[in-house]
Amino acid sequence: MNDFREKLFQDSKLTKETIPVVVSSRIRLARNLADFKFVKYACKGDLHAVAERCEKILSSCPLLMNGMTLNICDLLDYEKLALVERHLCSQEFIIETNESKLFFTDDHLTSIMINEEDHLRMQVFRYDLNFRTMFDKINAIDDHVSENLNIAFDNRYGFLTACPTNVGTGMRASVMLHLPALVITKQISNLILAVQKLGFVVRGLFGEGSDAQGNFFQISNQQTLGLAEVDILSRLTQIIKSIVDYELNAREIVKKEKIIWLYDNIGRALGILRGCYCLTSIDAINCISLMLLATDLGYLPNILRGDLNQMMMKIQSSHIQVLENRILNSTERDIKRAELLREFFATVPNLKFD
Amino acid sequence: MEKCQFCGKPATVHMTQVVNNKTTVVRMCNECAAKHGLFDKEGLPFAMLSNLGEALFFGMKQNLPANGLICSKCGCTPMSFKETGRLGCPNCYKDLKLLIDGIIESSQKGMVHKGKYSRERATATQMNAVNSFTDTSARKHSNKLSMEEKLNELQEMLDAAIKAEQYEEAAKLRDEIKTLKGL
Repeated sequence: MNDFREKLFQDSKLTKETIPVVVSSRIRLARNLADFKFVKYACKGDLHAVAERCEKILSSCPLLMNGMTLNICDLLDYEKLALVERHLCSQEFIIETNESKLFFTDDHLTSIMINEEDHLRMQVFRYDLNFRTMFDKINAIDDHVSENLNIAFDNRYGFLTACPTNVGTGMRASVMLHLPALVITKQISNLILAVQKLGFVVRGLFGEGSDAQGNFFQISNQQTLGLAEVDILSRLTQIIKSIVDYELNAREIVKKEKIIWLYDNIGRALGILRGCYCLTSIDAINCISLMLLATDLGYLPNILRGDLNQMMMKIQSSHIQVLENRILNSTERDIKRAELLREFFATVPNLKFD
Repeated sequence: MEKCQFCGKPATVHMTQVVNNKTTVVRMCNECAAKHGLFDKEGLPFAMLSNLGEALFFGMKQNLPANGLICSKCGCTPMSFKETGRLGCPNCYKDLKLLIDGIIESSQKGMVHKGKYSRERATATQMNAVNSFTDTSARKHSNKLSMEEKLNELQEMLDAAIKAEQYEEAAKLRDEIKTLKGL
């Protein structure tokens, strides 16, 4: 398990190459083996056979050489939740862990859930927006899988999935955006409505059912049938690019009309992060969100952005417990979180307002 | 609590309709709302319904003879789908076609797969078209559409024609499909 902890806390070098507004992006493919019932209806023996076959094929894929596979049922609750906090798997995945396995590469950029809702859920991740590269990668993995396993496919419906909302391409593409200025200028609810009308879904930081903490919003495609992968991805890219423009414009407006408010909020947030002794994760995320904005606006060095993204991960409740290697109650977690933040923000230079 | 105007159970669906500036309010229970087919594509009331299965179920066109359906491989029925929101096995897509087409119609962009083909079934042209990731328009207008794709496209057009009650057009398409299949 030490190996697991080490790998979980490995800082990805790639987070250094981050850009404003777009926090991360992801493409996920859902696939099922043709000869078995879908996960929810399959017996334990079937799930075991599915897991065995999938694991064997995945381990022979040249693109998945450096990584590890976890048996989810071997993990402690907070270890499972830490995987969700890392965006390596979904919340649903860790609830029913019967024969569930998770593979992830050392760089955390590729992960594969075996026996989630579908037999295989394969995802690639990036800390910027580049669907073309991501699709090429996931497509190559998918080719390897479908060459070696009998995947459920129908000429009319495409890839068959446990829920008809995923059928067809079986593809869900999503982008995590940081939109503080659209929230401040109260344009966000209109934007959400507009995005929904275009057939895309807006969610919070941890996907389905989560709130938009710290001004983070996840946007993903809703439809999977009747459109080619490339069309879905290019439409989503277009939408994201225009949202990024809206956000950048809104930031200019905030700078023009609410500069004192902005300085005040950013300054106080840094004060809290440097001086706190007990801080909840929501408060911490909201403060870090303002530090990200400060970085984008040039009040803090650009190089900090990657570190801030990493910090946001590390101060999550389950990450703290994995770090301490024991169950902590919420006050203990808030105290430890404050300690981590104080330590980190002591090294951060002072704000340089224009 | 308001009562359903049709059966007197507690009303959970409140629909306000504005036609020519005249406003009418209808209150119904879930069952009666479904019976009256008041859920169209745009008005799918996801937020009101507690689970996905139910929500998708409600999005279906009403009065489908879906109730007697059962999957011969796994025993999944429209009712079990309503409860879990999940299908049982790949064969459900054949045996519960009526149910699934209703759901797909209300939640998806189209009725026919237009994306990547599973590798073992794909022709070289299809794979290249997908793999290259470029120029989707070229793919769409390519004269080298595979038989399968052409058939799918025709079938989609046929479905649309039937839906729009353009039976003459539908007959033409049906014949075209027949000829293609016969080749």
